[in-house]
Amino acid sequence: MNELQNGANLCPTYSLNDFPCGAFVTNAARVIIYCNDYFSTELAWQPDALIGKSADVIFTIASKMFYQTYLIPTLLHETTCEEMQLTMIDGKGVRIPITVNVKTDNNGFIYWSFFNASKRDKLYEELIQARETLEEQTKQLTLLASTDELTTLLNRREMKMRSILAIELAARSQYSIALIQLDIDYFKKINDNFGHPEGDRVLKELGVVLKGFARKTDLVARFGGEEFLILLPNINQQGALLVCQRLHQLIANIKVGDAAIKVSIGVAISNPESNFKTLYTEVDSALYKAKESGRDRTEFYNRS
Amino acid sequence: MLLTDDVILRNNVKIIGNGPQTLVLGHGFGCDQNMWRFLTPELQKNFRIVLFDYVGSGSSDISQYNKDRYSSLEGYAQDIIEICQALQLSDAIFVGHSVSSIIGGLASIEIPNAFSKLIMICPSPCFLNLPPDYLGGFEKQDLQELLNLMDKNYIGWANYLAPLVIGEANSSELIGELSGSFCSTDPVVAKNFAKATFLSDYRHILKDIKHPTLIFQSQNDSLASPEIGQFISENITTSELDIVKADGHCLHMTHPNKITDAILRYVDNHE
Repeated sequence: MNELQNGANLCPTYSLNDFPCGAFVTNAARVIIYCNDYFSTELAWQPDALIGKSADVIFTIASKMFYQTYLIPTLLHETTCEEMQLTMIDGKGVRIPITVNVKTDNNGFIYWSFFNASKRDKLYEELIQARETLEEQTKQLTLLASTDELTTLLNRREMKMRSILAIELAARSQYSIALIQLDIDYFKKINDNFGHPEGDRVLKELGVVLKGFARKTDLVARFGGEEFLILLPNINQQGALLVCQRLHQLIANIKVGDAAIKVSIGVAISNPESNFKTLYTEVDSALYKAKESGRDRTEFYNRS
Repeated sequence: MLLTDDVILRNNVKIIGNGPQTLVLGHGFGCDQNMWRFLTPELQKNFRIVLFDYVGSGSSDISQYNKDRYSSLEGYAQDIIEICQALQLSDAIFVGHSVSSIIGGLASIEIPNAFSKLIMICPSPCFLNLPPDYLGGFEKQDLQELLNLMDKNYIGWANYLAPLVIGEANSSELIGELSGSFCSTDPVVAKNFAKATFLSDYRHILKDIKHPTLIFQSQNDSLASPEIGQFISENITTSELDIVKADGHCLHMTHPNKITDAILRYVDNHE
């Protein structure tokens, strides 16, 4: 017979000191009135050093806040609270992650059991880290997927998606929006005569101007090569005209050589039936008209 | 611009009571508009009261939650601003508990005309100890460990109010009653709010608050000491400080009559 089988025939005397976990009891004032030997054998507390002390002495400040703000109220309601992870301090001042199960009785005594959770804590740390990394990556990818690299304005896909929502909201709220399409005049010549880096600089600067000009609720996108799209909510034709006049002025500050950049602008104002597709067709035709009529100007789409 | 109905649904806005003036009540971290239930029975006899839950708290529409927006108190202030705009409020009195006092302060700087007065209950502009000039009560590493424990325990945490928050000297019965009806909070939302609350420093905005402001501070509050009330009062030049002989961080729940009377008196005296 092996030893275990031998043991099966014994009837040992046993107590809470034989269990591989910490156990203590606190009274209604949360003073420790009993603790088992685990605190002296495994957690470096002197025997009886904890008796008569507040349970606070074995917890870190954060754990103390946590058990006061969560564990105790939970006990009051449910008389039991399980699987709380806290940090305790052993007799030498070392911090140890622990899992705590607690229950209370009618006399306000609280029965605590403590389990070392050092390994589990490492796993939790890794999980938290993994979640934070994933969140950060998602944020970066979302930004990359929604913005134009050169100008950092919205890209075509994002603009389309947000414009659809903005146009729906405008219809529900019974206000009109203006869709503005802006195209740099003779942009190809800039690239041909001054090189693509100069063309990129112009696009970038224009991006900065448009971003600085836009209100918080406006949408601004680089919609194609040298084509920009702006959506202004809650605005009428007069308001939109003022905006476009200001845009012509501001953009003229961007220079290539000695010459000011000029743009052609098309504008369409929504009505309750508008959707992105119809508005974009309208604004495109207004821009075409502006180009046809000599460029460096704004034309509104005339629905009638 | 958001539609009125959208904001009302999003922030679970409720309007009760009648009176020539409007009170907007902003709840603190980990709570919701229920926390005002001890004050509203009396106050609604004299005021029109706007109650709401910040997005992510209480019965707000959690689908509208945006981690970036609500990772700073400005995001929560934006909720107040949008509620005021949706309801076209002007000259309202903002009453905020704890962190909401600061959130209300931020909103009052953005849209001053919406408010005529601010009332702060147990406010703190910064919970961190930043010696030698300022002691908010907590070391940064303790608060970081607290946030870490929130993560590991994966609970909304503050869905229960605390003896720490209520004050150790108050009875178990009271703690039980006060903490019983608190709603659950999504753990990720709770942690983000806790981070914005506990690790931020808004001392610099106090001097920009220009409205008459009444500050209630509890004599014995482990989250916000009377000295913090003093600091706020010195930085808001138009303020009055009322140190209440009480324990805990929730005077509006533990001492509702005292707070109601003081609010009524303050409003009367500042007509």
